[in-house]
Amino acid sequence: MKAEEIHQRLQACLPDGVGDLHTECTDPWIAVRPGAIAAVARVCKEDPELRFDFLSNLSGVDAKESILVVYHLYSYALRHSAVLKVEVPKAEPATQTVTPVWRGANWFEREAFDLFGVRFDGHPDLRRLLLPEDWEGHPLRKDYVFPTHYGGIDNTRDYNL
Amino acid sequence: MTLYNELPATFVTTNVDKLINWGRASSLWYLLFGLACCGIELMQTGGPRADLDRFGSVPRATPRQADLMIVAGTVTLKMASRVKLLYEQMPHPKYVISMGSCANCGGLFDLAYSVLRGVDKVIPVDLYVPGCPPRPEALTEGVLEIQDKIHRERYLTRNP
Amino acid sequence: MLFDFANVLVFLALAIAFATAVMLAGRFIRPRIPEVHKDIPYECGEKPVGNAWIQFNFRFYLVAIVFVIFDVEIAFMFPVAAVFRNWVETGRGALALVEVLVFVLILFVGLIYVWSKGDLRWNKAVAKGGMSS
Repeated sequence: MKAEEIHQRLQACLPDGVGDLHTECTDPWIAVRPGAIAAVARVCKEDPELRFDFLSNLSGVDAKESILVVYHLYSYALRHSAVLKVEVPKAEPATQTVTPVWRGANWFEREAFDLFGVRFDGHPDLRRLLLPEDWEGHPLRKDYVFPTHYGGIDNTRDYNL
Repeated sequence: MTLYNELPATFVTTNVDKLINWGRASSLWYLLFGLACCGIELMQTGGPRADLDRFGSVPRATPRQADLMIVAGTVTLKMASRVKLLYEQMPHPKYVISMGSCANCGGLFDLAYSVLRGVDKVIPVDLYVPGCPPRPEALTEGVLEIQDKIHRERYLTRNP
Repeated sequence: MLFDFANVLVFLALAIAFATAVMLAGRFIRPRIPEVHKDIPYECGEKPVGNAWIQFNFRFYLVAIVFVIFDVEIAFMFPVAAVFRNWVETGRGALALVEVLVFVLILFVGLIYVWSKGDLRWNKAVAKGGMSS
């Protein structure tokens, strides 16, 4: 199925959660409302014409005033792919979890929480994945300041670039 | 009561020192501590082509049996406290080789937020082996330099 | 005849003396730098959690018991081998052979028992239905 057909199918199933299809870049993407992503994910997986059984990537992107959560979906059954993007405000980044739909999203969402601070409501175990538990801050945000100390270790650079 | 660094320097004691240092230098057991790509070169240095075992250095998995710690690879801030604890769990006399750019000074990943800029910020280092990664011959030279350092040390006789 | 055992006594005394001397030499030669972290258990660099005493798997015990039994059997066969030629020359070779073979046969029956019960396998197979043999 082409991206337009996928978009039409999704809008037919969930008209108020699914936004526009953006085609100006290589991978056309579909905007989804943050409060509707769980329902959209379930439709994507279970609808017989979509059957997106594989979540190949879930990552965060820091746009200037908001954080985007990008979902790359692929269907092994029907050999098509789609991209969903959810935009959450930077001050209170929160959206729903898709872990009940695709179990692989568990660690993806933990990584997005770790590096961007996006909270996923309903996630079974939302804690830091890559960085140590007592790390402060979310490094992949554009306004992150690199720390010079951690755990009593002085990590300052001894020279200037 | 121990005789370590206690005795005066006579003919007998200096030669006993030489004997003990020869024994220590010829059996430098290193702690297997490959953290990143330098760990692959560490394995190759222990492999058949550039054999580290011919100098008596066998890899040990526990710090209790090791007297040389070869920090091979990038040390992240998360790992730094563990490196320190492992160094402290090694019994004296112990030596540390910092292998590769990342362990020397943070190396390629010096600008990252989570990388420790040089393992000498947490443990005292005896020898730095530069390279990214250092060839097995370079690491072998490093181990031989540590052996020379051991030969120059005073074991039973007092330090001047 | 008892004087022959003086060899054993000297050997024993030398062994004990050598081991003690080496350990005493080590105790005086090695440096003594006690630090807190040298005494805590090793847990790959993490702070240790829980007790370091873990329960041994009982399979090690089974292997050790079977080994001890057959090792003792071999140890009993060594003196037989030492005097066997002498017995053959005095004409009683058949008797010695039969005695040793009976000894080995009795222990072989034990080996067959252990083998058939499956105790020589590391992972003992459980029969269908969940009941072990």
